[in-house]
Parts: sequence; C-alpha cells; structure tokens
Amino acid sequence: MEQSLIRNFCIIAHIDHGKSTLADRLIELTGALRPDEMREQVLDSMDLERERGITIKAKAMRLGYTSRDGKAYRLNLIDTPGHVDFSYEVSRTIAACEGAILVIDATQGIQAQTLANIYAAMEHNLEIIPALNKIDLQSAEPERVLEEIESVLGYEREKVLQISAKTGQGVPDLIEAIVHRIPPPTGDPSSPLRSLIFDSHYDPYKGVIAYVRVRDGKLARGDRLRLMGQGTQMEVLELGCFVPDPQPVETMAAGDVGYIATGLKSVGECHVGDTITSVTNGATEPLIGYRPPKPMVFAGIYPTEPGDYNELHEAIDKLKLNDASLSFELETSPLLGYGFRCGFLGLLHLDIVRERLEREFGLALVITAPGVSYVVTRTDGKKIEVVNPTDLPSPTYITTIEEPWVNISVITPSKFIGTLMELITDLGGIQKNMEYLGHKPLGDLGLRVQLKYEMPLREMLTTFYDQIKSRTQGYASLDYEFLGYRESKLVKLDVLVNEVLVDAFSRIVPPEKAHDVGKSMVNKLKEVIPRQLFNVPLQAAIGGKIVARADIPAKRKDVLAKCYGGDITRKRKLLEKQKEGKKRMKQIGSVEVPKEAFTEVVKLA
Amino acid sequence: MGEPRTKVTFGEFWRSVRHRKKRYTHVASAIIESEVFRLPALTTVERIALYLHFPFCVERCRYCSFVSHEGREKDIPAYINTIKRELAERAHGQRVSSIYFGGGTPSLLPAGHLADILSTIRSCFTMDESAEVTIEANPGTFDGEYLKAIRALGINRLSIGVQSLDDGVLSLLGRIHNAAQAKESVPIARKAGFSNLNLDLIYGIPRQSIAVWRETLHDTIELGPDHISLYSLTLESDVPMHRMIARGDVAAPDSDLAADQYELAENLLPTHGYRHYEISNWAREGVESRHNLAYWQTEPYLGIGAAAHSFIDGRRMANTANLDEYLNACLQDIPLPPAFDEIIDPETALSEAIIMGLRLCKGIDPSEIRDRFGIDLAERYGGEIRELVDLGLIEREDHILRLTRRGRLLGNEVFWRFLPHDHELAGALHASPVPLESPSYPPFSKGDWE
Repeated sequence: MEQSLIRNFCIIAHIDHGKSTLADRLIELTGALRPDEMREQVLDSMDLERERGITIKAKAMRLGYTSRDGKAYRLNLIDTPGHVDFSYEVSRTIAACEGAILVIDATQGIQAQTLANIYAAMEHNLEIIPALNKIDLQSAEPERVLEEIESVLGYEREKVLQISAKTGQGVPDLIEAIVHRIPPPTGDPSSPLRSLIFDSHYDPYKGVIAYVRVRDGKLARGDRLRLMGQGTQMEVLELGCFVPDPQPVETMAAGDVGYIATGLKSVGECHVGDTITSVTNGATEPLIGYRPPKPMVFAGIYPTEPGDYNELHEAIDKLKLNDASLSFELETSPLLGYGFRCGFLGLLHLDIVRERLEREFGLALVITAPGVSYVVTRTDGKKIEVVNPTDLPSPTYITTIEEPWVNISVITPSKFIGTLMELITDLGGIQKNMEYLGHKPLGDLGLRVQLKYEMPLREMLTTFYDQIKSRTQGYASLDYEFLGYRESKLVKLDVLVNEVLVDAFSRIVPPEKAHDVGKSMVNKLKEVIPRQLFNVPLQAAIGGKIVARADIPAKRKDVLAKCYGGDITRKRKLLEKQKEGKKRMKQIGSVEVPKEAFTEVVKLA
Repeated sequence: MGEPRTKVTFGEFWRSVRHRKKRYTHVASAIIESEVFRLPALTTVERIALYLHFPFCVERCRYCSFVSHEGREKDIPAYINTIKRELAERAHGQRVSSIYFGGGTPSLLPAGHLADILSTIRSCFTMDESAEVTIEANPGTFDGEYLKAIRALGINRLSIGVQSLDDGVLSLLGRIHNAAQAKESVPIARKAGFSNLNLDLIYGIPRQSIAVWRETLHDTIELGPDHISLYSLTLESDVPMHRMIARGDVAAPDSDLAADQYELAENLLPTHGYRHYEISNWAREGVESRHNLAYWQTEPYLGIGAAAHSFIDGRRMANTANLDEYLNACLQDIPLPPAFDEIIDPETALSEAIIMGLRLCKGIDPSEIRDRFGIDLAERYGGEIRELVDLGLIEREDHILRLTRRGRLLGNEVFWRFLPHDHELAGALHASPVPLESPSYPPFSKGDWE
C-alpha cells in the first residue's frame, strides 16, 4: 500500500456523543464487516465496557475504501477512551494519528470533554474534521450547536459535516472528507525503525500485544526489537492488523498502524508512549517522551473474608497484566487484616477495577474511602508521600502538608450557575474564569457557560460528580486535570468504636470540617451497627480531642415471645440465621459490626 | 420421660391399677396403663399431646400471622370430616394427656361439631381421665349457653383471647370485641363451670403506653384468671400492621418500652399469686398449661388439621397450610400432603431440648439431659455456658441452669449459642420432596419486630 493512500485518524468526543456508533458505521460502510456480521459497538471487546457503554482499551482497525476518485485507500481507525481518567491513553492515541473526527452531539452541544479532547488534538497538530451527530433525533438543534461550534471553536459551519451515526446519514460524505482533508502520513521507510506504542493489551496466548504506529522504517515478522525508553527487548512473534479480527501480515512500513505480538509477560514491560526501534541499526531519538501514568486516587482494598486474601492477590495481579496504570502495595489493617493500597487514575478507574474484582473474580471486598496522596514535610526536613491516612505522622512532627489540586472545567446552562458556584466554593474551589459558549440560549435554561475553577482533588472524591449532575438536572459536564501540589491545613480525623480506634475509618480533612464529617460518621455508624449487649460509645477525634459523639444503647429485648408446637422449627431456623449472621460480622473489639457498615460509612462525604 | 422399667414389684403394680379405678378386661392393657412400667417407646403406647387446628375467623386481626381464613365458615362441616378422617388415620391407640383446640377461632365451631370430634378422639385414642382439654375462644363469639354446652363435653380449660383491655388498643389491633365484652366473658366462663381459665394479652403495641399497660394488668388481675399469657407484639412483613408502620401511619413498636412493660408484669404478677413459669406464661400454683408444657419439655405431640405441626418418633412434620389442599385430600381420598417432614438428628434434638427447656423458669437439669441424651452438658457446651454466665444471661444453682431476668428478655442471645456446633448443622435436615418455604412458614424478613 502506498504511503500516500494511508489515512490514520481517530474519533474524539464527549461521552455518549456517538463515537462508538460512528466507528460501527464506518466499519459497516467500508465493508469490513457485512451487515449480518455487525454487532453493536464492535470495537469494545470486554463485556464490562459493552454494558457501561464506555471504551477503555484503544483498538486499531484497518478499513479499506475506494474513494469516488477511484483510488483505493487504507483508513486506519484508532479508537480512543473518552473518559478524563484515561486522558493519558487518549493523548498517546492522538499522537499516532494525523487527523481526528470531532463528534458533537446535536442535542447537547459542546461538552467538557469535547474541549479537553480538542485541546489535545490541537497540541499534536491533527487535522480536525468536525461532525455534528444525531441529527436524526427530534431534539436535535443543529442551528444552535453550529453557532456554538463557530463561536467557540472557530470552525465555519460549512466545514462541519452533519451526520447521524445511527442511521448512516451523511457518513459516506464523512468518509470522503477523511480521504481528502486528512493528510497522508509523513515518515521515511528507509530510515531506522521508529514505532510509537500507543496501547498494549495482554493476551494469555500471545503475551503482550503492542499497538504500534510505524513512523519511520519497516517492520517484519521475526525482527528483533527494543524499547528505547524502557530497554525491554522483544521479538516480533506476529505482526498484523485488525479487520476487525486479527489478520497477520509479513511486513509493515512507515505510515501504517497495526499490532505486534511480543511474547512479553505483562503490559508493565511494554510501556505505552515508548518508541520501538530495531536492535540492529536502531534509531537514536525516541518519538516522544514517555511519562508513566500517575495514580491520583488511592483506596485500601481488603477481602471481606481474610481467607480470601490469596485470591484477591491473584486477581489484582491478573488485572495488572492488562492495566499498566493500576498500582498496588501490600497493606495491613488491625481491623481488616491483610489487603492492598491501590492507586488509580481516577474514580472511574477505581470503579471499574472494583467491579471487575467483584464480578469477574467473584470476590467480596471492603474498600476504604478513596483518598489522594499527600506530600508531608516533616520537622526533620524529610518529605514523604502519604496515601493511607493512618500513615500521617503526628502533628508535632509535621511542618507542612501539601495536597494535589486540579483545574476543573464545568459546562452548564446558566440557570444552574448559582448552585454550582455554591457547591464548588464550599469545597474550597477558587474561580479562575467564566465564559459563555455560543449566543443562543437553551430555552429557559439560559446560555451555556464554561466555569473554570481550581480545587483540591480531595474534595472531588466522594459525591462531587453526582452533585454536579443532580444540581443541574443532568445538564452539566465535568472535566479536570492535575494542576500541582499546594499547601493546605489538614488534620487526621479518627473514629473510635467502643474506644477502639478503627483505622479503616480515618480520614484527612480540613480542621473546620472535622466536626461535621465526624458527626455524620458517628451518626451513620449508630444507624448501621446493631445494638450490642452493652453500651457502645462512638467517637470522632482529632488526636486526643473528641469532636463528635454518639452512643448506641445496649439492647434489652431479643426473644421470641411465643414458642409452641407450630413455632419450634421456624424458631430454630431463625436462631440458625442469627448465628450465621454473627459469623459474617467483623469484630471491632467486642463489637459485632456487619460488613455493610463499612461501605455505608466510607460512602459519606 | 425416664428410663424404661420392665421390672416392678407386684405391690407397686396393684396399687397403680387400683388407683386408676378402671376395669381391665385384659392384663396387657392393665400393665400398659399402670404407669409403673415404663416401657420403651413403642408407637402404640406413646403418650402424646393432641392439637387440633381450626383456621376460621370472623375477621383477620391486623397483626395476625396465623394460618386462618375469613368468610369460609361454610367449609366447616367438610373440615370437620377431614379432621375426623385424619384422626382415624393417625391414631393407633396412643395415650392422650392433653387436647388443645387452637386456631383461628375455635369458638366459632358449634358445640355439636366439637362433640363429634371429641367422640372420634375417644374412640381412636386412649384419653387420660384427667386429661386437660383446652379451647381458645374470642370474646364476642360465645355466650353462656355455648360455654355450658362445651363444658359438658369435657372441655375443662378455656383460653380467652383478650389481647387488651383498652379500647383504643383493641381497635388498633383490629379485634372484633371491646374491653367491656372481654371483661364480661370472664364471669360468664366461671358460671359455665370453667375453673381453669387463661387470658391472653399483648404488650409492645404502638400507642400503648406503660400507663395503659399497667392499667390493663391491674384489670386483668382483678378478673381473677387462673393463668395469664403475655405476648410481645410480633409483626411479620406481610401483615397489615407492618404496612401501616412502613407507611408511617403508625409509629413502630419500641422494644425498650416493651422491655419495660415485660418487667412491670414480672414485678406485679407474683405479688398476686401468679407464678412465672415460662417466658410468656404465669399461673397459679398447679395450674400451668399441661399441653404447652409438652412443647417446652420436647415431648411428642400430634397436630391435626390444616397447618398443624407434629413431633412424633423424633420427626417433626406439618400438614399443608392450604385449606383447599387439606379438604381435597379427604374428598379425593388421597394422602394428606405434608408441608415438611424432618428427621431430628440427636444433635438437633439435644439443642431443641435445651432451648425449649430454658424457656421454663425452672430451667434445665443437666442430669436429666444426661439421662435422656447421654451427653454431659458441661462438656459439650461448657464454653457457651461460661460465656452466658459472664454475660449475666444465665445463672447456675446446684447445677440447674436457668435464664436470669435479663436472660429472659434477651433469650435469643442465649438460645443461638446452644444450636448444634457447626459441622453438625448441615446434617440436621433431610431432603424432603416438598420445599421448606411453604405457606405454613411466614417468610423470614428483616421486618420482624419483636
């Protein structure tokens, strides 16, 4: 295939604006799959993703297309994750392309991730084809959104294609636009080999599959290669592309996109963003710097049954084979036993990992409240990173605590500005900017507005996203990026049950919130811990100072009043159930606590 | 029950036979009835308590989970026939030491039907002369004539479902009578010749303050029954009152208030001559319910009628709770469908004996346990006993184990500890062809308020 006839592109969009549906349509219209072979959202391969309608793993598909000018082109479609948690993966994918189709939902208009993705694409100098999607829907407002695109993004409306990925309307024109507006790849096939790894995936049979974009040089099966950043060496066991099923090829040249079966044992050995070159006559300069993904959100994951620890360990190991951004360390808790402190890219990442552990591996888990990592400067001058609140040194040994801050961008109809500003400033956000998008109001919701704030990441970790949605009737969208560490006044809030400190409940909070957070925690505990045979004091404390308290009075009555002939068997079963229930309780000292208590308390803001 | 005795002196035998004041045509029956010979349990001569269930009511009360039906009085004659058939089928001359007509509302049965049943019982079984024969009755469903008639049939104990002597509470419960009717029923019963009278009351009812309860207790004492049963209101999730509470129309019962009400009764009743003999039952000396003692002492009992439970030969079983299914068996002359049938293995039997026995205020005697089961209680449950003594829920006096006052209120915390130790739990139930989740058991749910 001539290099000039190749087009490498991706589809970028806010969640649910139709990225995957458009990919399906392109696959269908270029004949890669016959209509009877089509399944919904072909590129999503994991069941979990299919259910949640989101993509996590990027995939690349080779589509063949004969243009109206008679020439046969090769279109390499690279699918990208849409969620802010995985922005690192998105940017690697964008670096593998020359162009991008920017999909905007005609019923919603520009949303927070539309903007985030566009900035990333512009940074890599991609040619962008804006496409207005879902024009088939009654609620579509093409006029309003076109105006928005023009005024906010600067694209004249003639340049914006109007399509419906679902019905296929306008998509043939879009494919022509891909051919004519996106430039062919540059790169010299006779130079030393340089390939960008834009994604990787562990396959139990073939080892790590690396998705590559060949910039310079040529690749062939059997070649010996090395990673320029990491140093790992590997052999090309298999080389191929996806049509959509894997199809091996013998060689691949500059400008093309495909996969390499490396035989490596875990994706950790094959970093996304690194450059592959040949062992002999290799290149000297890598394509882009590799930046390891930085975990932002941390949580303790423990098995409910201590006996399941080994199973949990194995499960996390398996997940890590395919998730280079999941980090974990062994951890122990006096209450919960042996477990792990895991680092995630964000809350969605945490959620996905949790669900996979529970569903695919069938594990019953206790997960502590998610937190961020703090940088603590001790009085002896040493700086340490703290991801578990119980590791926070005593205040007398702390000079400063720094915590991660983020830039957040919220796009909302102006009707909800007040309630959002209230929410964010309550959580310590500092307003940076407010900008109106477009000039046409959305009925009584008003014009759309982009709010930019700086806020501590810590405050986003519990109900922030849900609050954004519920205060704006679902209209608002949110994006954020790491800003840097800033000093904050923070203290460790502990919870004691029957005077026993429960490490799993400890949190790091600003001192002025300690009473409120403490009160809601002890009140929740009072609700979920059943009455015992003795009084149980519940206390929230900072160091030795109690900031909130509640008490669970001893139970006085627990007996079956009537027990006659017809009751005996049933009574026995009830007692058996009571006995079983006690076995499933966790002991905090002599207090029996159901597992649900933990989930309930850690959910509290 | 005691060890089997096959050797006695002639003197013992003669005295026991004369005591029975009966003519024997066959020396074998004399031996069997003499009671000095304690023969090994042969199904032909076991002694049982006999229970008959009558699932018919004028109107269902709002808190009731018993198996009973409204508006099916026309099925009563067919029901009586089915009962008679079942009695004939399951009798083989057992000795009956007590009979209990329960329900529903047994007092809805005309005296003629009761006569019919009793005569069937007398012909199929061997009734003890001094057998206790109880019938449950609801105020508003009987008059003096009725009571006289059934007294004449040999029914010698009356249990009246008073439930409350406060009209507000009665109406909340959905009872069909008022306090005045309830009070009147006592002298009527006495006049009809009932010298053994029980009154049932409920506490722990929403809107029933401690003051109202105190007054109810005093009024009850004044009525002078021989036996008093006090029950804490228990609501299954499928009863109307549960829904009323879930909707917020009525406050939920307060278990601490119920505890106070129970303690009040415990303090008050003995001072008026009522001895506390079981968690929920008080009686004047010697007038404890013989029938119910069979349950608490894990003695065999036979349950006749829809939803009735039995405990015979180490098996617990129950008839179908479905009235139509029950009636149908007779109509179609097919065997009665069981709701369940469970063989009680020795571990479970031991647990049941301990748990039920501890309900009695006199407690359990480890030497009786040893005689009956061959188990040393201190060895098998030593840890549990020590723990419970430490928790103040059990006391030990001369080896007898009994619940303390606090232990009576927190009985379940004592009982679950005496379940079979874990590895035995799995073997306790035999697979039965009928699933255990059948209508005779209300579904377990978190909504049980006790």
